[in-house]
Amino acid sequence: MTLRFSLLAVPLLASAQDPGAQAVAVLEQRCHQCHDARTRMAGIALTSSAEVTAARDRIVAAIGYQAKVKMPPNGRLGSGEAAALTSWIGAGAPWKAGTGASRAASGHWAFQPVRRPAVPGAGLPVDAFIDAKLRERAMRAAPEASRETLIRRATYDLHGLPPSYDEIQSFVRDPNPSAYRDVLDRLLASPRYGEKWGKHWLDLVRYGDTSGFEQDPYLLYAWRYRDWVIKSFNDDKPYDRFVKEQIAGDELYPEEPEAQQGTGYYTIGTNRDMLYKVEDINRVETLTDFVDTTSSVFLGLTAGCARCHDHKFDPIPQRDYYRLQAIFAPFQKTRVFLHYDMARGYDLQENTRTFRLHETGAQLSALLDPHRKALREARLAQLAPAVGEAFATPDDRKTPEQKALFEANAKKVEPSDDQVFARLSKDELAQLHEIERRLVGIYKNYAPGPFSPGLTDAGREAPRTYLPAKGGGDGEEVGPGFPGALGGGDIPEPPRDSATTRRRKALAEWIASPANPLTTRVMVNRIWQYHFGRGLISTPSDFGTRAGAPSHPELLEWLASELVERKWSVKEMHRTIMLSAAYRRSPRLPPAAPERDPENSLLSHFTRRRLEAEEIRDSVLMAAGSLNGKRGGRPVVPPLALEELYGMSQPVGNAWIVTAGRAEHDRRTIYMISRRNFRMPLMEAFDRPEGVLSCARRDSSTTAPQSLSLLNGPFTLAQAGALASRLETAGHPVAAAWRAALGRDPSAEEAGRARAFLDRQTANLGSRQAALVELSRGLFNLNEFLYVE
Amino acid sequence: MNRRQLLRSMVAGSTLLPAIVTDLLAASTDPLAPRAPHFAGKAKRVIFLYMTGGVSHVDTFDPKPGLKTAAERGVKAGRRGDQTYLPASWSAKRYGGSGLEVTDLFRHTAELADDLCVIRSMTGDHNDHFQAAMGVHTGSVTVKRPSIGSWVSYGLGTENRNLPSFVVLAPQLPYAGSQVWSSDFLPGAHGGTRVTGGEEPVADLQRRAPEKMQRLELDLLARFNRRHLNERGADPALSARMKAFETAFGMQSEMPDVFDFSKETDATLSLYGLRRGGNTGFGWQCLVARRLAERGVRFIELIDTGSSGNWDVHGEIDGMNALAGNVDRPIAGLLRDLKSRGMLDETLVVWTTEFGRSPWLSGKHGREHYNKAYSAWLAGGGIKGGVVWGKTDEVGAKIVENTVHVHDFNATVLHCLGFDHTRLTFRHAGRDFRLTDVHGNVVKPLLA
Repeated sequence: MTLRFSLLAVPLLASAQDPGAQAVAVLEQRCHQCHDARTRMAGIALTSSAEVTAARDRIVAAIGYQAKVKMPPNGRLGSGEAAALTSWIGAGAPWKAGTGASRAASGHWAFQPVRRPAVPGAGLPVDAFIDAKLRERAMRAAPEASRETLIRRATYDLHGLPPSYDEIQSFVRDPNPSAYRDVLDRLLASPRYGEKWGKHWLDLVRYGDTSGFEQDPYLLYAWRYRDWVIKSFNDDKPYDRFVKEQIAGDELYPEEPEAQQGTGYYTIGTNRDMLYKVEDINRVETLTDFVDTTSSVFLGLTAGCARCHDHKFDPIPQRDYYRLQAIFAPFQKTRVFLHYDMARGYDLQENTRTFRLHETGAQLSALLDPHRKALREARLAQLAPAVGEAFATPDDRKTPEQKALFEANAKKVEPSDDQVFARLSKDELAQLHEIERRLVGIYKNYAPGPFSPGLTDAGREAPRTYLPAKGGGDGEEVGPGFPGALGGGDIPEPPRDSATTRRRKALAEWIASPANPLTTRVMVNRIWQYHFGRGLISTPSDFGTRAGAPSHPELLEWLASELVERKWSVKEMHRTIMLSAAYRRSPRLPPAAPERDPENSLLSHFTRRRLEAEEIRDSVLMAAGSLNGKRGGRPVVPPLALEELYGMSQPVGNAWIVTAGRAEHDRRTIYMISRRNFRMPLMEAFDRPEGVLSCARRDSSTTAPQSLSLLNGPFTLAQAGALASRLETAGHPVAAAWRAALGRDPSAEEAGRARAFLDRQTANLGSRQAALVELSRGLFNLNEFLYVE
Repeated sequence: MNRRQLLRSMVAGSTLLPAIVTDLLAASTDPLAPRAPHFAGKAKRVIFLYMTGGVSHVDTFDPKPGLKTAAERGVKAGRRGDQTYLPASWSAKRYGGSGLEVTDLFRHTAELADDLCVIRSMTGDHNDHFQAAMGVHTGSVTVKRPSIGSWVSYGLGTENRNLPSFVVLAPQLPYAGSQVWSSDFLPGAHGGTRVTGGEEPVADLQRRAPEKMQRLELDLLARFNRRHLNERGADPALSARMKAFETAFGMQSEMPDVFDFSKETDATLSLYGLRRGGNTGFGWQCLVARRLAERGVRFIELIDTGSSGNWDVHGEIDGMNALAGNVDRPIAGLLRDLKSRGMLDETLVVWTTEFGRSPWLSGKHGREHYNKAYSAWLAGGGIKGGVVWGKTDEVGAKIVENTVHVHDFNATVLHCLGFDHTRLTFRHAGRDFRLTDVHGNVVKPLLA
């Protein structure tokens, strides 16, 4: 621990004053590697009061480093550590309830209640905290960024899109003192806001439109959850409510279908629900996914390791892990009826439709099968007699040789539909058309039903949860409850008349409580990270004992308490952060910044960032004038070259069913299908996560294939063509190009060079249009286009 | 002049971007900067020959005369005990000073017996293509993880900034598609770049404008980017992006140069079984692999076929004649060529597949998937030649000696490059990940 913790030192001192906790921490850190329940070197385990007491003389002698056996062998304990351990053993090694791991962790700063610190000085609180640190290090801050830079930064941060030329101009010219605040208000009120911040959340909850694994089947209604997330951000749904709806919307708001849609959270991860043979394994894997994702997304805890063992440094021991898992044990995936009567009507219609289709299928067989059979037999007659016999023998009586013959020739003798149709009489053709007409009648209004994926409990009783036993199988049974390091607590049995176990309800209320030390800290840190590129804690989903220290501990505390003060409003947190001078700084490095704070963790200036994959695609579409602003609905499948689609494990015709309508393909990227096993090449090149695990912070790589893709790929080429067509009709094509792509007018030098380029390329390529395409594509490749600062 | 000739005519390297950009690029921010391994490894790079579909071990590198006897006696086998053993269709011979026994399917490769270290006791965690292909490449048979090539690139960086550090020569996609060469959570620069062969061997490599015009466009781009950078002072991220354009530009010329065999002698081409002008087939892939190795690429993977028409011979094992015919001579040619150029000592050549095939019959004259035992081999940098490691029973069904799990195999590959596989880690989602998960032991007796 460093001096940075001045304000947080109270709880640490408290734990230091508890010699028991200190002694257990010493055992954890210095002894358990060789002497815990699992390792038991020399037959000694030091994991309970009785064991320690039994070995007391040997321990005292060994840590004294005077006897033959010297422990720990890799270096003597510090005198404070040794004293704490000796006096605790002398007092009978009183081991309080809870395991060593959770006791050792309970002193961890992030597990203490949030306390609102005093703001050090006047002005905006965020700046007071940031400036105090800069002063401490004798560092100067960069001045405020230009208005052009600022509005571009704010618009990308809140919309994931650039501001238009006109928006920039009107902000630059706005004399009103509230001009900047007005821009923020306008941006926060736009539905584009939810499309940007919803994406952050979808990264966290490992969203996908398919369920992964070899067949990668569709999660047919996942997009309803995606739209629910976007709407929740746009509505500024209080974060505590947002959490509750996702964790236990079914139990907490049984009369509100929209709230229950939140439980779609559980259903949009990878699963093998369509592989019925592995139901048991799938259920275990799904429970693991629920525990890991829930603890990392909402609590910033990495629980994953505890599934298999107590981790030396993680605050969640195995028992706590399975107590969390028990909360989800009764889960059952379900459909949320968005409108009860319509849903019922839909199911009834579907029921009749299915019955009718079975009949239609039978009619088609009756009509076509005789012809198919005749064709097949004609072909079989030309093959060896043994093949004919193999075909004639019923499947269950075929010898292995006959099976092989059948398989080898099945495709060969099977006629195509067209060949069958060619044999139909006039009358039969009429029958076929009648069936076709009926099918069109059945399907003409076919659309998704009023359903959203969701989750509830199978009933009031839950399957039992056991710790894994040594050597496999079930060990001790555990009940549902919360981690000891966070205060613990069991979840009681539900009332007799309850339809569910109410375990997730208890979890939701425990997480979405101002008293939970992690929920608010984790969320404000995420918001901060998405604005500044780096959180106050740089490991946004790991607030455990191994996480690094916060760069500004008091500010983190203040923001966490502020979230509750502002009624959990995320939009208010944006305002609080974005109105600060710290957010408004120029990206220009102030003196001494590179040496004293190379990572800019003290925020002396603004850190430039590369656009994210979706931002790149959306910005190109916008600059080209192609962006279709339509919101929500089924995932869009844009056309891709066959070559680009080779990565599929399913036949491409099934896995990439292209959406009808050219304009649909130009919608924002958040509405494009996200297959678990296949990312669009442009998305993959620019580090879009694949959605298997929760992603709290994206990679921002710089690779040569990215450049090839932007320079030579079909998407940028098509959009450069679209922009070029607009430029052709513009009075000043160069100025229009700069305004569209960069939101500004070109300098005289730039305009001159661009015009010279256009002239030369027109001569080279023989067409003005082709030259404009080249210029447009060049602009999409500029660092000025690809970076926001 | 066609497109390929045009590409070929490009001068390697870029004159568009100033040297200053390279200087500005701090090595620490460059994920591909050359890095030292944990200790001095004998191999500097890997050529990874991956046979798709599951190569039958008992018909290739682990011949079993016992199959014939068992089949003649009518011994029953298989999961339900209702199958008969299927003898190999090929006879085996002993090769080299070590007397390595190999069937005729790989008679050319077998001539290099004294350079090979054949492992007859391989086993993996899954019996289906998709999962096993992932397992061999990433160590995980379930969820995606970084590929072995990405781990090597992450560990070593690259020596040639005009080429990617990890190149995959795959005319078709194997099971699990591009997931087998994905960098996953490692920085994207470590992902495999796919080369398909044929007229356009690399995606988006083809300039959309003729070279002269692209040069004009890039010149303008570079000028505006440079001005943008100058106005902002140094920023490694911005210079890295300019550098990436330089690499991309370099790739546009250097990649076609890799594919240009005009300076290869007829003798060399015939080593690989290539006719002049050919740009497909495994011989082409092998020669490209050698040329990439010469240019400093760290991990070169060759995938022979795709997710159909491969070694998955359920119905008819005689299909292996064509599959082996495609790869056997080129592999032998590659080993000889590397050897004669003194490159084999520092190049680790790996030959593997996702699993073996059942010793018993499936279909008319085929074999099922079999992950309980299969064969793979290593040769070159860091590896003892003329070695057979591990042993299966008389029908090739059970490993009876020195089991080598995929994790052990991967640990050994990393060791040859100078890595302790337990220390080549990357922190992701709250914990340190590695290629071998929490498993793997280096198979020390195989090391030179």
